[in-house]
Amino acid sequence: MEALSKIVKAAADAATGDEKNIAAAGSAGFAYGLAAIGPGIGIGMIFGSAIEAMARQPEAAGMVRTTMFLGVAFTEALALIGFVVVILLKYA
Amino acid sequence: MIINSILSFEFPPINELLRWRDVVPGLNKVGLIAIASALIGTLIFLSAARKDPKVAPKGTRNLAEVIVEFIENNIIMQTMGRDGLGWTPFLLTLFLFVYLCNVPGIIPFIQMPATARMAIPMFLAVLVWIVFNAQGIRHQGPIGYFKNMMFPPGVPKALYILITPIELISTLIIRPFSLAVRLFANMLAGHLLLVIFALLSEALFQARDRILIPIGIFPFFMLVFLTGFEVLVAFLQAYIFTILAAVYIAGAVHPEH
Amino acid sequence: MLTAFVNINSFSQVRVSFDVVSAETGSEEGAPVGPGPNPISPEMKELVWGAGSFIVFLILMRLFLVPKVRKGMASRYESIQADHEYASATRAGAQADVARYESAVAEIRSEAARRLETARQTLDKERSEKVAQVNAQIASRRAAAEAEVAAARAAAQGQIVSAVDAVTSRATQIAVGVSPDAAIVSRAVQQAMEGSRS
Repeated sequence: MEALSKIVKAAADAATGDEKNIAAAGSAGFAYGLAAIGPGIGIGMIFGSAIEAMARQPEAAGMVRTTMFLGVAFTEALALIGFVVVILLKYA
Repeated sequence: MIINSILSFEFPPINELLRWRDVVPGLNKVGLIAIASALIGTLIFLSAARKDPKVAPKGTRNLAEVIVEFIENNIIMQTMGRDGLGWTPFLLTLFLFVYLCNVPGIIPFIQMPATARMAIPMFLAVLVWIVFNAQGIRHQGPIGYFKNMMFPPGVPKALYILITPIELISTLIIRPFSLAVRLFANMLAGHLLLVIFALLSEALFQARDRILIPIGIFPFFMLVFLTGFEVLVAFLQAYIFTILAAVYIAGAVHPEH
Repeated sequence: MLTAFVNINSFSQVRVSFDVVSAETGSEEGAPVGPGPNPISPEMKELVWGAGSFIVFLILMRLFLVPKVRKGMASRYESIQADHEYASATRAGAQADVARYESAVAEIRSEAARRLETARQTLDKERSEKVAQVNAQIASRRAAAEAEVAAARAAAQGQIVSAVDAVTSRATQIAVGVSPDAAIVSRAVQQAMEGSRS
């Protein structure tokens, strides 16, 4: 996250005077920040529930792990789409 | 704050990090990595296939068998069941190719995951899309496949207004899109993080003000930690890509799941 | 060729150049190119090379490599399975042999016990027979001896009686001068002898 804001900031610095670029950079960083909230909570919930399930039923750990990765993949996709949108906003 | 006030370094344009000059006309580093991945995978399995299968497996044969068993036990048996074992070659190739394209992101002096460019993830996602749709049409017939997709059984009729467009869009558009973007964006983000911390530590180590030099240790540690993290991510993304392909194919072959 | 500008105290600017990736090539050809299209858009040459190498890889794996490796694995598993079966069959045979041996041992042991028992019984019978025989012999001998003794005693008694008879009749003849009737004498002797005995 820090890295991204740096990218955006560096890009904004480089384009000093260009209002549009500054706006794009700012909104890009803002967009990614927003896009990361939901998936962050979601991934936390998925891992928490998966750990609970594995602790309760260690014999089902393999199945739980597979399903957990599937859930993480679907949830994480939202954050990654946000990341892609950032790049689109900044460079398109 | 310190970095911003004392040491501001200019981040290179992103295309400078990602787009590569042609080594020979029409072939750049990403293409080379893709070819090398296919070549390495082929060589592992070629040398494994040449060895005597009767003796206890060693070396490349052991590696190849571990990969085959990983695909069969952890991906196919978990998602498709015993019927899906015929998909081993496809999913194995997918996994191996994606993994070998991811891993150069952390190999010193190469440090460019081929999947951090959109071309390869997009191609693979489109391929998976074609395969699972073709399988659905083949196993359920074109009408049955689209009927099962748009009107999933066991749902109240009134909800079809809501569900039908969602299912259609999700299956035909969002699935390949998210498949490609997940792999691409994960690898790109990892690559950018590595670049940022490498640049930061290099800038700090070479700063004229000597007091800044020891501070460069911190981004360098972060770089080492992130490289270790990327080892995990490279494997995990290949695994997730493959298991999602398996889930999609299984869903198309057996609509009740 | 990556570049970074390091501003020290915002006054002087040091330009630091990097060679992040193409350090090993040393040529400009492997280095990244400058600004271009959107970084997300796929490039045709990468697409072609990636797709081409993947398809070749897939065809090789699908048609030759994976089936061969899989077949080798399956044949090894089968041979291991067969070895397992052979080993378990051998073990079962050995266990059957052991059971047969043990049953034979038990049979022989019971046979031996039976023979021992019969021998002991035969011996017992013979011994009791012999003992009975010897007892009978001893009894018969004793009876014979007793009979002999009784006979001898009777003979002696007869001799005594006749002697006494003779003595008595002679003494009577001398005393009385008449030879007494023999029957009377013998009766008297008989009475006297019986009186003396009792």
